[in-house]
Amino acid sequence: MIEVRNLTRRFGPHVAVDDLSFRLDAGEVVGFLGPNGAGKTTTMRMLTGYLPATRGTALVAGFDVLRQSMEVRRRVGYLPETVPLYRELRVEEMLRFQARLHGIARGERRERIGRVLERVGLTERRRSLVGSLSRGLRQRAGLAVCLLPDPQVLILDEPTSGLDPLQRIEVRNLVKELAEEHTVLLSSHILAEIEDVCPRVLIVHKGRCLADGRPEELVAELTGVGAHVRVEAVVPDAIAAQRLFASLPGVREVRVTDRVGIHQGFEVRGEGDLREDVGAICAAKGFALRELSWQRPSLESLFAALVLGEEPALRPPASAPSEPARDDSATPPSGGLLQLAPEPTASPSAPKDAPAPAPAAAPKPPAGPPRTLNPFERGGGS
Amino acid sequence: MIRGTLTIYGRELAGLFLQPFVWVLLFVSTLLLGWLFAGTYLPGANGDVHRATMIALGGDFWFWVLTLVLAPLVTMRMISEEARSGVLEYLLTAPVPDASVVLGKLLAATTFFVVLWGTCAVPALVATIGGVTPDWSQILVAWLGTTLVCALFCAVGLTASAMSQTPVLAAFLAFLFALILLVSRVALRLFDAIPDDVLPRSWIEFVVDKLDVVGRYQVSFRNGVLDSAHVLFFVVWIACFVFFTVRLLEMRRWR
Repeated sequence: MIEVRNLTRRFGPHVAVDDLSFRLDAGEVVGFLGPNGAGKTTTMRMLTGYLPATRGTALVAGFDVLRQSMEVRRRVGYLPETVPLYRELRVEEMLRFQARLHGIARGERRERIGRVLERVGLTERRRSLVGSLSRGLRQRAGLAVCLLPDPQVLILDEPTSGLDPLQRIEVRNLVKELAEEHTVLLSSHILAEIEDVCPRVLIVHKGRCLADGRPEELVAELTGVGAHVRVEAVVPDAIAAQRLFASLPGVREVRVTDRVGIHQGFEVRGEGDLREDVGAICAAKGFALRELSWQRPSLESLFAALVLGEEPALRPPASAPSEPARDDSATPPSGGLLQLAPEPTASPSAPKDAPAPAPAAAPKPPAGPPRTLNPFERGGGS
Repeated sequence: MIRGTLTIYGRELAGLFLQPFVWVLLFVSTLLLGWLFAGTYLPGANGDVHRATMIALGGDFWFWVLTLVLAPLVTMRMISEEARSGVLEYLLTAPVPDASVVLGKLLAATTFFVVLWGTCAVPALVATIGGVTPDWSQILVAWLGTTLVCALFCAVGLTASAMSQTPVLAAFLAFLFALILLVSRVALRLFDAIPDDVLPRSWIEFVVDKLDVVGRYQVSFRNGVLDSAHVLFFVVWIACFVFFTVRLLEMRRWR
């Protein structure tokens, strides 16, 4: 439905989109992901024919966006980031204008406007001035305008930017509904959203496509570490426990991570979800568990790995920033805080057989400068 | 193309007349015209409504001042403001040619002046009802002329609007361009001192002749003469500025 080949766009010396190629089949919903200034908007503008490409071709529904611009414009519903609506018109009038622009027959107009208003939930506000609508409603009105001609392809540029969490959920649900009938290309820099809505993502950075595929697959493939079980338990001997976990069937690798107080952390990697086995062995050995969780690397970690490292992070040294950040709020951050914590042996509540910390269990010194996992907080977090 | 132009025209007309600012402009200028008509033109023409109407339609300096000032004010926001609010992006990705967008806007701006100068026909209408029929054909031709003149100035205004980022700058630029077209005949005197062997007089006159809006209008339309050469003069200039505007919109894409 959309086919982009070697698309390049320069603004003077600045290269906004650099040799981008991808394809969307009919009915696909694809998330276009990248930090600000990655070239998302430029690419979308080129797909709608608003901006001509410096080099390369883009086909939408089989039509070249530059040579057969009118055909493409008829088939694409485009919602730019700043919703383009005339403030002085009423919602209904705006839709009527759109219907006339697209040459929808007069008899059909009323019914289609009614239907599309129903769909975005603006039926009660159909007589309101666009200028008086709240931001979320305006976004919906924009979507209504874009949906009215029933386009084959929807190109939505950050449809949820500037909305509050509730409105964001509404728009997200709406997009999910639309996905059933249209080919959707959706851009965002909010990762959770893309993960939720799009079965396929394209990650762009500095105008290049860094990754393309299903989020889970990409994550598994590119971070090289995949999912793992995180265990935190009171163990008599970290090394012994490591060996014990490693002896479980299906376990590939056990890593000893940080130690907080009397609890020792482990990462158990292997085939599938090993929580049950690990839990059973902990129970058998009498290890007091504090955490036993299934940690899946998120899109966010993949994104951080890609964008911060620029190269796909394949080996463990680079997997440090790909450690999942979202779900381990229970774990205090390693590094500085740990050194301040009292020695486990000094604690009165420490089990009597608690050994001196083994060298392997010693807190890992942070490798290099501390890196935040959220690429958008770079600098601020360190 | 035509459907798109008409659609844009309808939208722009609504947008134009939904602005209070435009009603204020219309109110002030009709007030001024009425006052001039009753206070100056009519006594000046010894009570002859027909002659007074002809003075109002381009015979007096006020006609040109109003056109010169109002055309930039009406057109200044049409492109610059839309470019800012992002609506232009919507229009340029809608299934209508760029030329339709410009033409629709031009027609809407011109409609404002058709209405404004149409009010000058009201005294003639009253006179007709009263039994003294003025020369309607001359008034109509003059009115058509004013429409062409105003369309030209609006096209200039749109070009300026497409060039600039803010409406104020657009209005100023449009004013300057329109002024050049207006005063070219007067400016001819500035070249009196140039000797013929430096720059032949005929060359200057040739250039001025191609710019002189006032002269063209007064020679033909105001005398009730519908001369195709003069109609063409206006149509070509309007087409020129519409072309510039479309190209300027195109240029935005390349920047």
